[in-house]
Amino acid sequence: MRAVRASLVFVVLLLAVTACAGGGRPVDLANVTSVQPPSPVGVEENPATSTTSAAPAPACDPKASLRPAATLPPPGQMPNPSTMQTILARGQLIAGVDQNTFLFGFRNPTTGALEGFDIDRVHEIAAAIFGDPNKVQFKVVTSATRIKALEEGQVDVVVRTMTATCDRWQQINFSAIYYTAGQRLLVDKASQVTSLDQLGGKKVCAAKGSTSIKTITANPAKLVPVQVDNWSDCLIMLQQGQVEAVSTDDTILAGMVAQDPNVKMVGPRFTEEPYGIGIPKANTDMVRFVNGVLAKSIADGSWAASYQNWLGRTGEQQPAPPTPVYQD
Amino acid sequence: MVTTPVSDGTTAPGARKVLSLPATAVRSVRKSAASTPGRLFLMGVGLVVLALLTGVVGALSLQQKQTTIDNLVNHREPVAAASQQIYRSLSDADATAASAFLAGGTTPAELRDRYDLDIATAGANLAKAAADVSGVAEAETQVNELSQQLPVYTGLVETARAYNRQGYPAGAAYLREASGLMRAKLLPAAEELYEIDSARLADSQDTAGAVPWVALGLALVLLGALVAAQLYLTRRTNRLLNVGLVVATGAVAVALIWGSVALLVESSRVSDGREHGSGQVEVIVQARIVALKMRANETLTLVARGDGGEYEDEFEKQAKQITGSGSLLAQARGLAPNQETQNLLAAAQKNADDWLAAHKKIRQLDDGGSYQEAVALAITPDAKDSAAAMFTKLDDNLLKALRDARQKFAEETSGASKAMTGLTPGVGVLALLAAAGVTMGIRDRLQEYR
Repeated sequence: MRAVRASLVFVVLLLAVTACAGGGRPVDLANVTSVQPPSPVGVEENPATSTTSAAPAPACDPKASLRPAATLPPPGQMPNPSTMQTILARGQLIAGVDQNTFLFGFRNPTTGALEGFDIDRVHEIAAAIFGDPNKVQFKVVTSATRIKALEEGQVDVVVRTMTATCDRWQQINFSAIYYTAGQRLLVDKASQVTSLDQLGGKKVCAAKGSTSIKTITANPAKLVPVQVDNWSDCLIMLQQGQVEAVSTDDTILAGMVAQDPNVKMVGPRFTEEPYGIGIPKANTDMVRFVNGVLAKSIADGSWAASYQNWLGRTGEQQPAPPTPVYQD
Repeated sequence: MVTTPVSDGTTAPGARKVLSLPATAVRSVRKSAASTPGRLFLMGVGLVVLALLTGVVGALSLQQKQTTIDNLVNHREPVAAASQQIYRSLSDADATAASAFLAGGTTPAELRDRYDLDIATAGANLAKAAADVSGVAEAETQVNELSQQLPVYTGLVETARAYNRQGYPAGAAYLREASGLMRAKLLPAAEELYEIDSARLADSQDTAGAVPWVALGLALVLLGALVAAQLYLTRRTNRLLNVGLVVATGAVAVALIWGSVALLVESSRVSDGREHGSGQVEVIVQARIVALKMRANETLTLVARGDGGEYEDEFEKQAKQITGSGSLLAQARGLAPNQETQNLLAAAQKNADDWLAAHKKIRQLDDGGSYQEAVALAITPDAKDSAAAMFTKLDDNLLKALRDARQKFAEETSGASKAMTGLTPGVGVLALLAAAGVTMGIRDRLQEYR
């Protein structure tokens, strides 16, 4: 009888204790379940494809430019009237360039000066007009705004890893080809991916208004194109894990590898991107003049020295200087 | 064998008694009111209850008002000041980071210190502002956003620094991302938080200046009832005065006059503190925010190096807000509480004009191709006519004017609080005195019927 009573008391106590314990719940004051990562200004995922291809450009040889005169006029003595004379009278060459693409056109953070393979071309043109390579006003343009800058006459030349295409020939003129790049793929060092086809449904980054973004969008594997204002924005999105890969010209990618050894270029070149200097459509005299400057630079070895200085560090084999093609 | 009581359907006798209570009370009151002493007794009880009720309501509403006013000085205004400090520090950090980038090389020590101080100030003030937002969902959202994004921002800036030191342009990209985060998320949240906090301050000021209608109404009803009771007694008893009731009337009248005068002084000082204090602060803060935005746009235009047209457009728009007729600085001058503050604001106006002149020169240099000279004119802090120097002077003068206005607010609002010294207990004591007077006066009359 006593045992029964004791066990009854025990059960009651047990019930009381569990009842008390079951009453409260821990309270979470802040409950964060997801974070939106910071993104570069102007980034767009899956941008609407431009519908400006209403009239496809007639077939052409985009590499063929206008033949230069046999000799260049001496610096400081430009023919009058000519585009070069206007520039000479103004006192400086206005050049549309990039300040974010390592090795081609970038701002040296230590000195604040713009440097790179493209910038060297600008200095060569300035030297040919003024006899002083530094009489240049640099104006930064993005991939998306460079053609507009030329059409509106804001700049005399655009030297900005710009591919000569038949579409663009409709709007502007190109100089002879000064470098030939090709589109490749940049991924994290640990990634197994070696080609665009393996990236179906994954995010791939390129700059707005570039030929690369068109190639990515057109790929049948249905990639998710992510477009940004500047090439270096692609690098930081890759570093932050916001895109799976970057795909553009191998030269631009080489600049990214040089900044971060934890990314690698993979796969073969799958496009050919001949770089030309953009010049307003009307200024054909300037086109011939610039082609003369390029031919001289290739002939006297400054082109090769400039290549070695900037692109030598990427470890790629130094190509022979491009052979200019003229349409006459 | 147990028998269960069966309900017979009729109400229990106890319950019947309770239910009939109101009827009984009404009957007994009606019986009392039929006789003069009964009526007197009821009148006395009524007046005492009314006096006590008035005392309690009056003391409570005055106590509440006092708390509101003290809260204005000790809490509401400091919180609004903290949230404006968050905005200022964040915005200054962003402009400083951009300046440091423009300066090139390793960050100059003074810019590094300024950035560090800005981030520390923003963090400390954010903690204070965060302690205040529980229950205000809108403010909580902003504080949440700020607390979550500030560490992300500083992380991006430090990454940018590391890359800059190595000479890689990825640093510029990180800085651009950081600045974008600041402008798209942090600054809007900080501005919103400041607006919420200054609206809460204004609401509190409204409450502090409001008339306590219930207490005032009760006091007037009590006064009227006391006068009516004395008229009735004079008619009934042929005695001109009843000392107890006269004392009670006097006590109520004193409480009414004291309370009215004190509250008039109080509300006028609160509204002075608002117009020349916190209202002035708001205008100066707006001016300061616009100046900071302009400075950020000025440096970012140079960072973009030809690709920054939208920053310059914004600058031009903001320049019109800050200076010229009807601008924020002119408004602030109109509200200035004294000559000294007016002088400060006049100096600020001059600084703003000088800055705009320097800015024009910077744009001319940059657009004319002299980029490095333009940068030097924009960011060299010790050059006499550089934009950096002008901006710093403008910000200093605005800060001084801001301190003056806050001082004015604190003085006036503390004055409002002092005007109410002793009022709460005073009203309580006077109400008790009135109740005691009524009790004595009515008891004297009642005793004549024994």
